[in-house]
Amino acid sequence: MIAIITFVVLPTFNIFVSSLRFESLNLLRTETIRNVVWFTTWQSLVSTAFALVIALPLAFVTANFRFKAQRLTTSLVSVPFILPSIVVGVAFLQILPNSFHRTAFALILAHTYFNFGFTSRLITARWLQIHPHLDDAARTLGASPLKLFTTVTLPLLGKAITNAALIVFTLCFTSYGVVRILGGPSRSTLETEIYFRAIQLGDVSGAMLLSALQILIIVSLFVVTTRASRNRFEQSTRPTISRQKSLQTRKQKFIATTIISIATVFAIVPLLAIAFKSINTNSKFTTTAWRTIFTSPEISHSLIKTLTYAVIAMTLATLLGLLSACSVAYNNNFRLISGLTTLPIVISAVSIGLGIIITFDTKPFDWRGTQFMLPLAHALVALPLAMRVILPVLQAIPDSLRQASSVLGASPQQTWLNIDLKIIRRAVISAAAISAAVSIGEFGASSFLARRGAETLPITISRLLSRPGDSLQSQAFALATLLAIFSLITIFVIDSFANTKFARESHA
Amino acid sequence: MLEIDKVSIIYDSSQLFANLSLTIKHHEIVALTGPSGSGKTTLLRCIAGLESISTGSIRLNGLEITNQPAHLRNIGMVFQDNQLFPHLSVGQNIAYSLKIKRTPKKNTDKKVREVLSLVGLNHLIDRTVINLSGGEAKRVAVARALIAEPQVLLLDEPLTGLDVELHGRLLEDLSKLLRTRGTTVLHVTHDKAEASAIADRVLDLRQLIS
Repeated sequence: MIAIITFVVLPTFNIFVSSLRFESLNLLRTETIRNVVWFTTWQSLVSTAFALVIALPLAFVTANFRFKAQRLTTSLVSVPFILPSIVVGVAFLQILPNSFHRTAFALILAHTYFNFGFTSRLITARWLQIHPHLDDAARTLGASPLKLFTTVTLPLLGKAITNAALIVFTLCFTSYGVVRILGGPSRSTLETEIYFRAIQLGDVSGAMLLSALQILIIVSLFVVTTRASRNRFEQSTRPTISRQKSLQTRKQKFIATTIISIATVFAIVPLLAIAFKSINTNSKFTTTAWRTIFTSPEISHSLIKTLTYAVIAMTLATLLGLLSACSVAYNNNFRLISGLTTLPIVISAVSIGLGIIITFDTKPFDWRGTQFMLPLAHALVALPLAMRVILPVLQAIPDSLRQASSVLGASPQQTWLNIDLKIIRRAVISAAAISAAVSIGEFGASSFLARRGAETLPITISRLLSRPGDSLQSQAFALATLLAIFSLITIFVIDSFANTKFARESHA
Repeated sequence: MLEIDKVSIIYDSSQLFANLSLTIKHHEIVALTGPSGSGKTTLLRCIAGLESISTGSIRLNGLEITNQPAHLRNIGMVFQDNQLFPHLSVGQNIAYSLKIKRTPKKNTDKKVREVLSLVGLNHLIDRTVINLSGGEAKRVAVARALIAEPQVLLLDEPLTGLDVELHGRLLEDLSKLLRTRGTTVLHVTHDKAEASAIADRVLDLRQLIS
């Protein structure tokens, strides 16, 4: 909590106070900024709508049917969400024709790609909680499949869809890496404008004002949406019988195969494109780019730095996530902790980076140049995810297990170590994996905090892409492929642990 | 009249039963008993159109309905665990089938109040179904099925899990209600006393297999 208050709340507060102090409010009246706000908003809305359009049919298939390679498919379509944003940007730069570069279409497509699997997972999780006999009841009362969907399924999925849409909109609204790579200077969003003003123009006051505006918009949206969906019904347990049935009719097989194929191809093609480009320099197949990334002192240094930061960020985020999850799980009304750990989602990585820069650049807290600021920022960005991986598993442990342990003579500490920790250990490993993945791919805060000579891989990729020459581009693609491979490993680690016996039972 | 003719059901790759035949006359209440796992519920689900039969046929009032989807059969079902729609109030749950049929609101409201008074729950019309007691939820489930005026009502262990006093009271009320309305009923239960109390005919599932 102290860490969140010091490195998220305090810098955010500082952004607000400083933005009011400067006489830069006129900036908001300029046409450039009005256009930026408008573009940021509409591209986020369209991206969210597109992500939902792909996610809903996918969720329908994964929640209602059992099919071969279901786990593999689910993992594959989840990969885009955990990919570093810069990798997604680079991938679409490669697969889209040049005429589509720097267009709103490219951004929307990349944002849709980034979020559709995650959206589908959120909706699937809720769909699986809807008792299949509710469908049967509606059918025996005369509801056709379409009526069943509109009168029962959709209202029961409402809150999950709203929550997913809210998160996706926020992620698109605060998207940085994708916009930097695909949008360029002509397609600027609030997030890239903050960076552009602070770093390129040196207009820190303007950047702070835009950052404050962005935070205000997102917070208002969260408050309004949360209030609007407060009274919506939401079941929290999975029914005792599964709603997933094997594919029986030809129609079912055709629909499921089509939806799964489209989603899987959409998830894989951009990854294959970057891998292909990494071994294709000047239209020739070569492994030079791969050899270079492991032998070039500059890139090797960046690789080592990235891994070092990832280890520190992973340790910090996992520990903080575990402590936060314990605080929330053991004190049901501990909403403050839950709210504080959500802050890094609401406050974008770029704003966290900017806040840290303006807050910790004066004595006695002149920490801006220190090595620990970057991994700390990464840990804070990863914290909401780490905490939310551990919390549901912790909350699913029945109190009767702890009581049984106590009456068998175990102290509270022994009970925690032998019951709680043993049950959540896989979730903790998953949280660690996801934290490491976030740190390795983090681009927004790093753009502000990475010092020259201590660049992380995403910064290095961005620099390589900005230089002319096909071989340098191939090196960027090889590094992007490396990051993608790491993301793939992470998602498979998370999914294999999520499918363990206890995790399955804890949902029952 | 409901006619089930030489029906076989394969469930999860194993045969539950083969060549099962049963006829239920108009306005008749038939109770079907049998041990747990014998396939009573699956048979009801097949009659309702929620599961498919492997062989045989199901006819309702002379019409073949074997391959008809559940929503077109006009066969009502009360589930063991009620399955009330959690996002709808008591009144909205009961009005569900009328809303599906686009019945005018005035008629719907009138019918809902009539059915609610039959089950003695008029005062709960606007209540959420989440906090209903076991007995209240059961009455709402029966009212919801009855308002659709099904040609056959299937009751899947409707009184299981209720305490003895409530079980007795509900059994009496249910029996009276079904007879007053002249509903054709197939009632599945493992409780032979309950079956005898409610039904015109009590059959053992195993007797129906030729």
